[in-house]
Amino acid sequence: MPEDKAYTSAKDIEQNLVATLYNYIGGATESEGLQGTPRGVYDWNSITTDEQLIPVRGGDWYDGGFWLRLHTHTWTPTELPLENTWNYLYKVITLCNKSLYNIEKNKTVLSNTEYTGFTSEVRAIRALFYFYTMDMFGNIPLVTDYHTTQNQIKQCNRNVVYQFIIDELQSVLPYLANEHSNYKGKYYGRITRPVAEFLLAKLCLNAEVYSDDDWTDKKIPNGKDIYFTIDGKKKNAWEATITYCEKIKETGYVLDGYAKNFCIHNEESKENIFVIPMDKMLYSNTFSYLFRSRHYAHGSALGLDAENGTCATCSTVKAYGYGTDSVDPRFQLNFFADTVKVNGNVVKLNNGKPLVYYPLEVSENMTGSLYEKTGGARMSKYETDPTAYDNGHLQDNDIVLFRYADVLLMEAEAKTRNGMDGEEELAAVEKRVGAPSLSANLDNILKERLLELMWEGWRRNDLIRFGKFDEDKHLTVFPIPSICKDLNHNLDQNPGY
Amino acid sequence: MGLLPITANAQKRHPQTILADSAIISVHPYQKGSADIIDESRMNKGLIINSLEALSGQAAGVNVSSNGSSHMAMLSSVRVRGTTSLTGGNDPLVIIDGVYSDISTLNSIYPADIQSFTILKNASETALYGSRGASGVIQVTTKKGLGSKFHISYDGNMGVQSVYKYLDMLSGDGYRTTAQRLGLDYEDGGYHTDFQKAISRTGMIQNHHIAFSGGGENSNYRASLALMKQNTIIRKHDNANFAAKVDLQQKAFDDIMTIDFGVFGSSMKKEGIYDKQKLFYSAATQNPTFPNGKNANGGWDRNSSASQIGNPLALLHEQDHNKMLNFNTHMAFSFDLGQDWDLKFFGSYSYNSIENAQYLPTWVWAQGQAYRSEVKNEDWLGNAQLNYHHTFVNGNKIEVNLLGEYQKRNQRGFFTTVKGFSNNDFGYDNMKAGSTLPYGGTGSDYEDPALASAMFLIKYSFHDVVELTGNARADGSSMFGNGNKWGFFPSISTSWDVYKTFSKLRSLRWLSAFSVRSGYGLSGNTGGIESYNSLFLLNPNGLISWNGTPTTTLGTTSNTNPNLKWETRASFNIGADMGFLSNRIVLTAEYYYSRTRDMLYMYDVPVPPFIYNKLLANLGSMSNSGLELGIGLTPIQKKDMELNINLNVSFQKNKLISLSGNYEGTHLSAPEHTSIGSLDGAGFHGGNNNIVYQIIGQPLGVFYLPHCTGLTKNADGSYSYEIADLDNDKVIDVADGKDRYIAGQATPKMTLGSNVSFRYKDFDISLQINGAFGHKIYNGTSLTYMNMNSFPEYNVMKKAPETNIKDQVATDYWLERGDYLNFDYLTLGWNVPIRNLSKYISNLRLSLSVNNIATITSYSGLTPMINSYVVDNTLGIDDKRNYPSYRSFSFGLSIQF
Repeated sequence: MPEDKAYTSAKDIEQNLVATLYNYIGGATESEGLQGTPRGVYDWNSITTDEQLIPVRGGDWYDGGFWLRLHTHTWTPTELPLENTWNYLYKVITLCNKSLYNIEKNKTVLSNTEYTGFTSEVRAIRALFYFYTMDMFGNIPLVTDYHTTQNQIKQCNRNVVYQFIIDELQSVLPYLANEHSNYKGKYYGRITRPVAEFLLAKLCLNAEVYSDDDWTDKKIPNGKDIYFTIDGKKKNAWEATITYCEKIKETGYVLDGYAKNFCIHNEESKENIFVIPMDKMLYSNTFSYLFRSRHYAHGSALGLDAENGTCATCSTVKAYGYGTDSVDPRFQLNFFADTVKVNGNVVKLNNGKPLVYYPLEVSENMTGSLYEKTGGARMSKYETDPTAYDNGHLQDNDIVLFRYADVLLMEAEAKTRNGMDGEEELAAVEKRVGAPSLSANLDNILKERLLELMWEGWRRNDLIRFGKFDEDKHLTVFPIPSICKDLNHNLDQNPGY
Repeated sequence: MGLLPITANAQKRHPQTILADSAIISVHPYQKGSADIIDESRMNKGLIINSLEALSGQAAGVNVSSNGSSHMAMLSSVRVRGTTSLTGGNDPLVIIDGVYSDISTLNSIYPADIQSFTILKNASETALYGSRGASGVIQVTTKKGLGSKFHISYDGNMGVQSVYKYLDMLSGDGYRTTAQRLGLDYEDGGYHTDFQKAISRTGMIQNHHIAFSGGGENSNYRASLALMKQNTIIRKHDNANFAAKVDLQQKAFDDIMTIDFGVFGSSMKKEGIYDKQKLFYSAATQNPTFPNGKNANGGWDRNSSASQIGNPLALLHEQDHNKMLNFNTHMAFSFDLGQDWDLKFFGSYSYNSIENAQYLPTWVWAQGQAYRSEVKNEDWLGNAQLNYHHTFVNGNKIEVNLLGEYQKRNQRGFFTTVKGFSNNDFGYDNMKAGSTLPYGGTGSDYEDPALASAMFLIKYSFHDVVELTGNARADGSSMFGNGNKWGFFPSISTSWDVYKTFSKLRSLRWLSAFSVRSGYGLSGNTGGIESYNSLFLLNPNGLISWNGTPTTTLGTTSNTNPNLKWETRASFNIGADMGFLSNRIVLTAEYYYSRTRDMLYMYDVPVPPFIYNKLLANLGSMSNSGLELGIGLTPIQKKDMELNINLNVSFQKNKLISLSGNYEGTHLSAPEHTSIGSLDGAGFHGGNNNIVYQIIGQPLGVFYLPHCTGLTKNADGSYSYEIADLDNDKVIDVADGKDRYIAGQATPKMTLGSNVSFRYKDFDISLQINGAFGHKIYNGTSLTYMNMNSFPEYNVMKKAPETNIKDQVATDYWLERGDYLNFDYLTLGWNVPIRNLSKYISNLRLSLSVNNIATITSYSGLTPMINSYVVDNTLGIDDKRNYPSYRSFSFGLSIQF
């Protein structure tokens, strides 16, 4: 269909310039989608941490050393998935710019409300993608005009991009519907006001990181000295975080049953804030993390397929108290460990022995080990959809990107960092699952974030904020992919690479 | 049998006589000896089951890709003088009796219906076909009625094909004892199965062909019917073809008007292997202690921890069925206007459809999957041409040809996918049995490009000694961007009969012919462009929830280049033909150089500002050059005995000159190293498993690999590949640009085709030998199957436990020389002296053939005859997908009445 015929009415503009962008939140191919697919944003934020890994298992999962390099922080600018991730993120940003250009060009067919509504939503999507891009790559090109030429594309300091994202989100916030986006209905899967507020809270909480233009030195700015203006009032980073968390609270989110947020029909969760809508009959978005984690026999027992890969690290399962008398209640919910049962029956290997996962028998390269195929606790978290299609890639559970428990933990952390008491929020999260309450200090909060948000893609972000991602600070951002640098000589490599 | 443009019986091969019925261009500008004409006597003997096979090895510079697969499926690609484009359109243009066609249609013609192939390689010839001639042209002339006498003939052959070489994997017992010796936890199914044998069988082939012709004084006709059937050496995969053809010619009004009419139809069935690599990978590495069939519970056993393979016997049930229907018809009216003028109108219509039906049973793919698709193509062509030819009093000749042509194509296709089968009984025949139609699994498309052309050609000859030809063609295509709609393709050529010019030469007793020729011209290639590539379009890009309902949205699905045009290939050639001792020895030599400019390529472009990281654009250039030599010897030429030896050798050199340039003010350049092919299989996903690359300044398709200095012993007694620190930075890093080097090229530097034929009285014997030299092959199969890390999940080669390599890093350790000499076929024929026995039978011939007799090579894999010509992700890489090697034995019978 010729492009000039696609934007002739408000409805066409809405569908083909705004709604169309939501096709790119999830993905069906490698490195595409914010979550659900392999080798993309999620893996760069998770496999690179102490939370999870994909060990080399004999002939499986060597894959040219990719997973090893991710986990041991020895990635290089030439990693193809890194380039693909960059291209994915900037594709969506460029499409947003294109949408804004075309909305502007055809604004005569729109009412003022439509015009502001449409542009605000597109700008919010663009801000979301700039958030992930900035978080991964640090100094990145800030392109806001569809007709920017290659010669005009130069990097901005991380702080400039950071300020831009905050400004954009703040200015579109009033025009976004104040609705839950995870419920089926008009706003299902869309960026509504609480989604943008969550993002703002996240951005403010990470102010010390994002406003630091030289992350390779040991000096970091102090959040108390970084100011934001919210509703006319000047607030430091922690106060700003608290303000946005409170706003989300007011929209009526509550902690639900932990498992309810990840069940097959989790659209009714009162806690999820932003999700990738999944419906195996309708949408092509895939979720491959359960599939790639479980053992082959486990997959067969479910009538699905498997790749026997991802597992939790030893330090993760130990943090849950695995092997001790007091195991965190969420261990059961997040992992498959020990003898595996499906529908009450023990899963058998082909040789008749039961399938046992060994959570503590994990190393980066398990080739030749007795536990080569069975080492490591596997991902559970999401309820297994027995009618999943495509080897289990297409399921009905929506993929959770943002949820309220994180809001409470952010608030607890901001309060603590601001010298206030974060006990209430921290306790609420612990109490919901029946875990013992710990005092609200930064160490406990980081640990609680691991226990609560396991498998959810936040670990790298958290560790960097707590200064625990890597001793070598240049590794806290990824290198500009070499191909992108080769194609655009204006781009400078991030320091240290 | 001869394969040189001029041979001992050169008088048979004047273009004018052989090509007179080719409808496209009546005046043949080919310099004598330049166009390579392969008539019946030169076509391959032996078991020929499709038309292109008749051509393989017979023409210098023409490579028919074999791809190591089954004969009927293999001939999908032909390269004339190598690869000239990076994007597509490297298959030569095929023209059958004047109708633009393609290789798959050509393959559905029965070889015995073909009178000759004419291979156009030089620019002065390919320029006649303008924007589509750059990859060479194969003109096919089919047999027509010869005159008034009635003839009927039958020819056919029957043969068997049997495997003579499998990969040497551990047997059931070997697997068991190895696992026990190493103390590994393995599954013992209790059997002893060779799965490579289990999926193969003895192949059967039969071909039958009946043709009859006749007519009266002013008319003639020929009709033929052909049937071919093949049960391939892989079980459950059969192919068949049925073809019918009728040609009529009528002269009228005192021979002023001639009408030619032809119809050709074929129906071809191919049962392909759904995933060749998975089938052969599984057959080689499936646990050999599993049963040859279903297990006691009625299921298929598979290695529970080997995710990359399935039970090969179950995989055999995957269906990938193609049905191709062709219907072609053409009609020509020629008018002899007297006084040197001719006028001709030609029209053709062709219709072809390709139906594809796939079914993946539930025990291979969870929930099963059925897929059906159909593509229908209609093609109309009309042209008018006016010819003038005049011989002056002084013996000089002039020929002028004017042509106007219009071609239109209409292509429609659709496909649909259904998943969620609860049983396998319906296969793809009742898609209602599936419960879901996944998004993106159903679609349809349409395109209707048109091409208008005008051509002018002039040829002048001085006393039959020097000939000059010039031509110019203009093509206008609807596929290109505004401002680039028309392209202009001129050419010029000359030939000089040196022998005739100098009487001194004529007086030499040992010399019998000597001529030289040369030409230069431009031709185009549009292969990489689809109809709407140059337009800004939106396509459905997905389904999302919007305002509470699932909604399909439109979006941009690729970068658009509004300036697209064809790529242009400029070629120069110079050649000489010499004959000695009454042409008992003939030599030909031709050198060519061509340069492709405005090369179509999917450039990597920066994101941002581009939306996607690939853009189809006309930048860059590539050169091809080569030398083609032919030698024809007739050492014995007597009434009862004749020996002919023919040899053609071509040296080919390709170089990727540049992949950068300006696109709308932006400098685009391709990355230094772009991988074309990589390894696949367990543990090979991503990472540094790229093997074959395109690198600027190098031939297309070079091996760019880490260097292995040998095997190094690990602490546990196993071995790894020791990698050299080529960039001397004290770190081993096998990423591109680091510890890698260019280790050789994937395409042969030299190819050879040779035929020896000997006749004694009524017996004849013919041996064809083909070879390729100077290239390398990456033995990814051995790299994978020698890796003890994958044992016992995957079976390994017999030698693997002893060698004890526990490593699968791709290095040059498994890069081997690909040189080979293949004894393609040996045919023994007997022309039964039947004339004395029956007054009706004019000829009876019996023959016995063996195809693929033997191969001489140092390559350690199954066969060196993999894809070494076609630039795709399989080029130069032997990666677990080769058919076992097999030989064919056949008996042929041919009777003419």
